[in-house]
Amino acid sequence: LKASSINLRTFIGCAVREFTFLARKPGCKGMRLTTDACWGRCETWEKPVLDPPYIDAHHRVCTYNETKLVTVKLPNCAAAVDPSYTYPMAIRCDCGVCSTGTTECETI
Amino acid sequence: YETIGPGCHLHPFDVTIKSDRRGTCRGSHVVQACVGYCESSAFPSKYSVLLASSFKHNITSVSQCCTISKMQKIKVRLHCRAVRHEEIEIFTAKSCQCDMCRLSRY
Repeated sequence: LKASSINLRTFIGCAVREFTFLARKPGCKGMRLTTDACWGRCETWEKPVLDPPYIDAHHRVCTYNETKLVTVKLPNCAAAVDPSYTYPMAIRCDCGVCSTGTTECETI
Repeated sequence: YETIGPGCHLHPFDVTIKSDRRGTCRGSHVVQACVGYCESSAFPSKYSVLLASSFKHNITSVSQCCTISKMQKIKVRLHCRAVRHEEIEIFTAKSCQCDMCRLSRY
């Protein structure tokens, strides 16, 4: 997602977007990394239905559809600590269910 | 829904109600749903999340979804065979907002 060419305030859909985070684990010095993650606005709805629980929901969120695992070496690790740090990089993002098996599903 | 922009809005749709399988009494009414586009994102999890999930949750999704924030009951008149009428109450959305997503758990 090229921020310069798309107005993020009105963007609809789910796209790969740059994301910067601090990779760290105990025994190493943290490292600032920039990777591809997912961001967007997916179509979601709720409609009343006749039977309990009286609301039918279609809740899809912008999440990773295809991932590549990237491994980096963190700096200044203690002697006994493995310096490798693995994180997911988004190849493709899509509107889908938040799968609690692989994903920490949080709300804003 | 192509004219709908970001946000979560009321959206009318028709419902047809039949009192039984043969449709002895039936009626239809316009009911409001909530439809829209709320913000969501997914990114690599923090170390604390990795640790708490035994390194299973390597992605964190932070999301909002379009939800019904207020419901209202409305009366719908069902027309039966001959001149008989029946009335039932159904729900309609009164207001909408981007809020917590309902999780589909696997």
